[in-house]
Amino acid sequence: MTLLLLLLLQSPHARLEGRVPTAALPGLDSLIEQAVAESLPTEPLVQKALEGGAKGIPVPRLVNGVRHGLVQLRDARAIVSRATPARASLDGDVAAVAAALARGLDPRLIERLLPGEPPGPVLHAAADLVAHGFPADSAAELLRAAQQQGLHGTRLLDVAVAASHELQREGGRTPVEALARVRAMLPNVPVATPPHPRTVTRRPGRGS
Amino acid sequence: MTVIDPRLQEALDGERDPAALPAELREAYARLTAAAALLREPPATSVADRVMAEIRREAPAPRPPNWLLRPVTFRLRPVWTLAVAAAVAAVVFLPLRESATPGAEEGVAQFVGHFPGARSVEVVGSFNDWQRGALALRDEDNDGIWHGAVVLPAGQHEYMFVVDGERWVADPLAGRYVDDGFGAGQQNALLIVRP
Repeated sequence: MTLLLLLLLQSPHARLEGRVPTAALPGLDSLIEQAVAESLPTEPLVQKALEGGAKGIPVPRLVNGVRHGLVQLRDARAIVSRATPARASLDGDVAAVAAALARGLDPRLIERLLPGEPPGPVLHAAADLVAHGFPADSAAELLRAAQQQGLHGTRLLDVAVAASHELQREGGRTPVEALARVRAMLPNVPVATPPHPRTVTRRPGRGS
Repeated sequence: MTVIDPRLQEALDGERDPAALPAELREAYARLTAAAALLREPPATSVADRVMAEIRREAPAPRPPNWLLRPVTFRLRPVWTLAVAAAVAAVVFLPLRESATPGAEEGVAQFVGHFPGARSVEVVGSFNDWQRGALALRDEDNDGIWHGAVVLPAGQHEYMFVVDGERWVADPLAGRYVDDGFGAGQQNALLIVRP
């Protein structure tokens, strides 16, 4: 009985009750039921709803935000299915691809990077490179080269960090030169030393 | 991501004498190195460590009293069963672990924000179900630099700072951002926790 109760307490509806406006609940329940019916992960939708509730987003925009999340999950699963047709889509992979879409990565680039390993880190590394202004194709080639040199998982984030550092060196390097420098370093790109030195090498100011 | 002045970057990397920087960059250098010093501090001792220390401090009793050895029968009404189950659920599914030692699939996330004059700053995000009041930052010396650390599961987490209980601000130092999807162009900061 306790186990059943625990499951009920963790149901999406129970988690949202009291955390989102009552008027939003029917719409949110419906979207989450659609996700369940399509075997899509529901946790990203629950998180988006909780976020909207915490931020005090008006009901129509809140429900639209969650609906947009559902569309991204559908798109993400289609990408995963195309890229890895031989195996069933995992919830984690679909959620990671949806997150990459939310960061603005091109679906074709995602599809190129997907086969081979859990997609979260490699997609974030690609999104980091694109955010720094590196061309998407060159970013994908660099990450592929890094994988071939034995770098995987979060080490791929170090590749993106190294490329951005090269780009910022005094004297100015073009993205092509920066990528060539990092490619020459592989697989010995520096490990970003914890705890998060990136947070102290950036200029304070935005929003503060 | 924010592009940093290359001269400042080189000074931070130890490749340039900070004293040779222009005045405005020297100020930024001082601020960033102060923040770096904060980040190097280990997370505060965890609740679990403190509890274990208290437990260890107690001397073992030589012999348990008789009433401890007598069998006891509990009669619980269903309503109490529900309450107990809810309490167990709260502990089992508690999203944040207040432990200074991350497990194999966890990492330490450090948060730093420059909010001069703020009365409170907290971090709200997907790692705590966007629940207010779960992770407050501290500014012990009132210099406007608020900081805190927490052990989180490895992976991606979206978050924001809430300043003075009402102003939502994307972490200016996060480096990664993602549109929050609610149509107003607001961005969440994105944190990737490494195991």
